[in-house]
Amino acid sequence: MRDNLQLTDVSTAEGQMVSIDLDRIPNLPIDMEKMPWKPVTDEQKENTCCILDEVCVLNIPKPKNHGEEEELVNKFLEGMRKSFTKENNWTFLPILETSVEYCAQCNSCSEACHLYEMSGEHEMYRPNFRSEIFRRIYKQYVKKEPLARWRYGDMGLNWKTVARLGELAYRCNLCRRCAQTCPVGVDNGLIAREIRKIFSQEMNIYPRELHEKGTMNQLKVGSSTGMTPEVVKENVEFIDEDYTEITGVGIHTPFDVQGADIMLLHNAGEIMAWPENIAAFSLIFQEAGLSWTLSSKSMAYDGVNYGVFYDDAQFARIALQHMLAAKELGVKKIVIGECGHAHKGLTVVADRVIPYEYQVPRESCYVTLNDIVMSGRIKLDPHRNDFPVTLHDPCNIVRLMGIVEPQREIVRKIAPKFREMPCNGVNNYCCGGGSGFAIMTRNNIEQWRGNITGRKKMWQIAEAFKDCLGPETKKYICAPCSNCKGQIREILEHNDLYAKNSFAYGGLVELIVNAMVNVKPGFIKWESEEEE
Amino acid sequence: MTTIFYLLAYLAVAGFLCLAFLKVRAYLQASPLHVRWELYPVPHEGAKTSYGGSFMEEKDWWTKPRHVNHFGDIKAIVTEVVLLHATFEHNLKLWFRSYPFHFGMYMLMGGTIIVLLSALACLFGLDPKGGFMIFVGNVINAVVLVGGLCIIGGGVALIHRRMTDEGLRRYTTPEMFFNIGVFVLFGILGIFAWVDATSFFDWARVFICNLLTANFDPQPSNWFALHLLVGFFLLIWIPSTQMAHMFMKYFTYHDIRWGDEPTTYSDNAKNTIPNELKYTVNWSAEHITGGAGSKTWLEVATTNPAAPKTE
Repeated sequence: MRDNLQLTDVSTAEGQMVSIDLDRIPNLPIDMEKMPWKPVTDEQKENTCCILDEVCVLNIPKPKNHGEEEELVNKFLEGMRKSFTKENNWTFLPILETSVEYCAQCNSCSEACHLYEMSGEHEMYRPNFRSEIFRRIYKQYVKKEPLARWRYGDMGLNWKTVARLGELAYRCNLCRRCAQTCPVGVDNGLIAREIRKIFSQEMNIYPRELHEKGTMNQLKVGSSTGMTPEVVKENVEFIDEDYTEITGVGIHTPFDVQGADIMLLHNAGEIMAWPENIAAFSLIFQEAGLSWTLSSKSMAYDGVNYGVFYDDAQFARIALQHMLAAKELGVKKIVIGECGHAHKGLTVVADRVIPYEYQVPRESCYVTLNDIVMSGRIKLDPHRNDFPVTLHDPCNIVRLMGIVEPQREIVRKIAPKFREMPCNGVNNYCCGGGSGFAIMTRNNIEQWRGNITGRKKMWQIAEAFKDCLGPETKKYICAPCSNCKGQIREILEHNDLYAKNSFAYGGLVELIVNAMVNVKPGFIKWESEEEE
Repeated sequence: MTTIFYLLAYLAVAGFLCLAFLKVRAYLQASPLHVRWELYPVPHEGAKTSYGGSFMEEKDWWTKPRHVNHFGDIKAIVTEVVLLHATFEHNLKLWFRSYPFHFGMYMLMGGTIIVLLSALACLFGLDPKGGFMIFVGNVINAVVLVGGLCIIGGGVALIHRRMTDEGLRRYTTPEMFFNIGVFVLFGILGIFAWVDATSFFDWARVFICNLLTANFDPQPSNWFALHLLVGFFLLIWIPSTQMAHMFMKYFTYHDIRWGDEPTTYSDNAKNTIPNELKYTVNWSAEHITGGAGSKTWLEVATTNPAAPKTE
């Protein structure tokens, strides 16, 4: 337990290296409790490398003897070597190399990081902390530069260093706000992702939610939710029926329409957790008279691609299937639903991974919806949204794709009491669930998300609504991204903020449907109404 | 000894160019085409730049001609380089120290280019004692004084900050102290030479003339010679260290942070991607090569590790 943490402590500290003091975590203008860390169990101490802090994402098996310790180190070094070869890492190598070679160690990135700020400025959360460990290992043990210890500082390398560095790669939301501030153009978020890749692609070490339950499940049954094509079609049919009744408008969600203009690609998590989002999309597209379809082809009904967060091979496999399904249907474009990482993954990253002849143009649903709303193709009454609304900017769509205005234009048009959060647009903060954490709840990960990663977002929300905090005024947090909604939901639920502050959260399409004049009023529900 | 001095000068210039070339070549050879990894705002997006918007805000953007506002890129990079804008915005305390240091370097680098042009002008017949050259000389003498003092002041302040700020101290490597220290020494020797000289500009111009004409005359002052020697060392040292960011920044900004060109508009990308997919992968994880040792990326991307195993 070190307060005065040094970089070299990752290789020398015994047991748990740091402990985040809850008293140093900033308080917020809204009632958001600090969740006590659950103690690491004796079994975990005995069997896993839970030796960084209170959180344990990777559950790396603890080496039982010197041979296993060496094996862990050697595998890591082998992975690091591969990540610096063109053949194994042509996708990211120039970006990795510049981030490793040219950091001026100015720490300008620190204050941009919501984790650093909300951990009470704990040294471990400087974006440069893990990067600098990675750089020193690379220069001393892989590149073997002469005088590396003197030039760049010493770094001991043993199983503890490797295990802690792996965990450190999962103390980052990959929001890349730090990279935005770097005078040199270094990307510490990228380094965190490259470390994740080494662990996954070389060492078979990954969070089970991203790999076994995530990409592997998607590759096996078609969706990370576990839904098969048949189940998806059935569920969507139920959603159509339910929301036909709720909205008073007959909803039919088309599947596998050959030659439709648009293939809509939802995050399949919406089907299970937020069916109103699926229904709202269907209703808007239907009423706007679009030619569109969902695909029931395996993987193509789930826009999720957790490979974006940890593994290039898994990413490429799933992205390719998304493209092939759209090609098969002969659609003119894929419109990506309210899912941030699906947006960036399929639109930006896949753009130079999938051969052009297999590509189908991709468009953000924010853009498609903007066209529908601004062209007047559906009748809207903004007075139905006569409650304060604020808009969350998903990092993957806003900072990393530059899609900033279309969604704002919609909200400004249909929500008269819209107000921006502080630090909005490309300067936004991550919801706290970014890079896969929104779907993880174990080993103090939910405590971590509540105490640290999600805290800055709740500060932004509190500031946006500071004139109407409390239970009297109903307020809507518009978070048009599935993972972001998952994170916000958990914070609201855990802190009873639905009741204490009359918050409701949801996507952009729900807000649009709530204003549609041909829909029964009250599509968006607040907790108090649901109880009635 | 004088000849060796001049040989060192040639070596330093050639060394700088070679090492910089090698760095740039290594970057370009690292990948024929890396993925898009842009970060907004991207300054060539025209009116959208003001709020960080992109072409992807447009409906059916791939059907429209691509507009790249190169002036926006130039303006942004010049603002960044000349004013250290990012440091000003995100690390003001450091900027107050770093800016004079960098500004001093810019003055000396700019001054060197002017001296080089003056030397060429003299070689082509311009009177070194003429009015124009005297004017240039006065400007350069002032630039050297101010630039040298800025480097010394900024450098000492940077070392102090890096020693006293707890966060910075942890990350400042011995080499970084050394780098800044060498620059401070360079500045101090320059100031001593400036004090020693009737006109620093004349000494510098004559030295460059001698370099250009291979006329190995001795230096007029030990301070000036030492100042130049440290300068030679820096020319070799800069591209060998993280200070190479002075030119690699072009790539980190233009090629990575602002590198948003979609494949739709790029024949190079269309042709390159299939070739990259032929690279052999030998990541060891079970789900990638599946015990096969190596596969091409194309094989990896078209293999489903979760598919039921067939006998």
